[in-house]
Amino acid sequence: MGIIELSKVTVRRGRSQVLDSWSVSIDSGEVVCLSGDNGCGKSTVIETAAGLVSMEKGSSEISGQLIRDSEGRRGRTKFGLCLQDDCIMGDELVGERILDAAGCDFDVSSLLKTWGLGHRIHDRVAMLSGGQRRRVAILSGLVPAMVSSEPVAILLDEPDSGLDDDSVEQLAQTLRDLAAGGHAILVASHNSKIIESADRVIQFPFTETKGDPVKGKFSLLESGVLRKTNIGHRMNLRTLSGVANNGIAGLLTLGAMLAMLNPEQLEGRTLTAFILAPALTAGLCGNSIHRLTLENRAYAWWNTISAIPPNALFHSLITCGAITVLASTVTGDFDVKLIAAGAVLGACTEAIVGLLSHATLRLSRPNAVMVRLLTPILILPWALVVDTLSV
Amino acid sequence: MSIRGEAVALLGLAGAGLTFWLGMTWAPSVSIDAFKAPEAQRIFYWHVPSAWAAMLAFGMLFVGSIFWFFKRSEWAWRLHVASSEAGLATGLMCVWSGCIWGAAEWGVPWDWTDIRLNTFAMLTLLSLYLVLGRRSQPDGVETRDTFAAFGMYGFVLVPFTYIATRLWQIRHPGPVVATSEGSLNSDMGTVLLIGAISFTVLIIGHVMAGMRLTKLELRLEDLQNRYEEESR
Repeated sequence: MGIIELSKVTVRRGRSQVLDSWSVSIDSGEVVCLSGDNGCGKSTVIETAAGLVSMEKGSSEISGQLIRDSEGRRGRTKFGLCLQDDCIMGDELVGERILDAAGCDFDVSSLLKTWGLGHRIHDRVAMLSGGQRRRVAILSGLVPAMVSSEPVAILLDEPDSGLDDDSVEQLAQTLRDLAAGGHAILVASHNSKIIESADRVIQFPFTETKGDPVKGKFSLLESGVLRKTNIGHRMNLRTLSGVANNGIAGLLTLGAMLAMLNPEQLEGRTLTAFILAPALTAGLCGNSIHRLTLENRAYAWWNTISAIPPNALFHSLITCGAITVLASTVTGDFDVKLIAAGAVLGACTEAIVGLLSHATLRLSRPNAVMVRLLTPILILPWALVVDTLSV
Repeated sequence: MSIRGEAVALLGLAGAGLTFWLGMTWAPSVSIDAFKAPEAQRIFYWHVPSAWAAMLAFGMLFVGSIFWFFKRSEWAWRLHVASSEAGLATGLMCVWSGCIWGAAEWGVPWDWTDIRLNTFAMLTLLSLYLVLGRRSQPDGVETRDTFAAFGMYGFVLVPFTYIATRLWQIRHPGPVVATSEGSLNSDMGTVLLIGAISFTVLIIGHVMAGMRLTKLELRLEDLQNRYEEESR
């Protein structure tokens, strides 16, 4: 059984069937290149292998672990992935991104130097040129294999696009080196240098030729302790997007209510509603990290790392709690129970709106659907909490 | 043959019109002690049948979503499309008439703490979301799967809406038909029955016409694609 195994997959995209009961198996130490015209299904194969595309029939396995099957079962394991989009949020740091992709600490600066990015290690990815950003995306795909002595699967979708000739040559050589280390590589490309580096070339629609590439030499990068990503909280601290979106909405609600109402005259249910309304508004703005992951289709890459979408739920609890404290202070009614309710209500509301948005990511235009039409249902639990706490 | 859906819908619409007329002019007035706004109670003959029709549409939406998602049936997708539109139309009729009645009877058109009101409004918003969302996306398996999933999960609200007034009666009244109390006058029951039948016919016609229209839209799209391929 190969490291990368697609078994009898049937995949529909849009209104056409792209793959029909198609299988491929890539063994340890093998580079397989997919080649063919635009729209022939190369990207579909890569994304199906990575578990990003649902299939009508068949299954995808990597290193013996089920990644996805037609029954909807999902699994995750360590593998490298570089899609046609760079899949990196602009606010991620270059060095940090490579470490996140590796899943462990190692000497990232020397690796970046060999790829001409050593001086950019602490820069945000948004500050890089297109070619530099592409190199970071490629390294994110390659590094899980570079730090592993065990065979790791690498999936690369047109990694050469936007690269200069020297970089393409370096990439082709790196693929051979990784293959020498026993890693299995599936790459989609039109580039002759990448095609020449492959042991097998699958020309769509499905004629297979054997290649005769030169042998590479694998040198393992010494890795340290495993690394926790916590990408959502890290991004939120760096961008303050939770405060800028959710927090400001809550503050504006409080300000608008203060303009219309005298908090000293409020009592009972109205007073409780006044204190809890800003947290609800903050929550209704949704998961601020979700919006960041829409950049360059970063959500797809992170989806292969974890089933839980990037979020900053702990920060949301703090933000919504702080807004509720502020509303309580304004009214002079300082109740710990209310503050805790505001924090939890706001964070839960934010998580639910985030999940609703996340559910639309398969659509070709996820930003065009008005998922907020469904959010009024969240007023019901809020109103019931207000009723309960004001008794 | 091909206009059967529209004909059925027209028949239902005529019945709905008759119900409205009977409800407003013929049905007996309710006791002045039982309601704060007895005349507004006549909205009941429009409100309840439209709620019934909306529930039928949401049921069909669920069936269409399930059969598309698990069986990839083209008819099921057409049913999903047509019933979401029908659910939106009848759901809005029910919510709108309920707000008018509520404003007269309760003094407020809406209560955010009433579970029946909110879950029903949510179902109507789900239909609106499905109708608008689908129009914003190119047709394809990704679009269909996503909206079918929303249609399936959204159906969870239907039993909630049904039992809401039985378990947590907050403001919306409980059931008045087929209960042990039997509180509905026979003439009132007759008008309500005509309404329920008319709205059922209306919704069936609406869905039939909608399914045919969707089939024609998809055929047109196929022909456009074929034309583009042949002209290359």
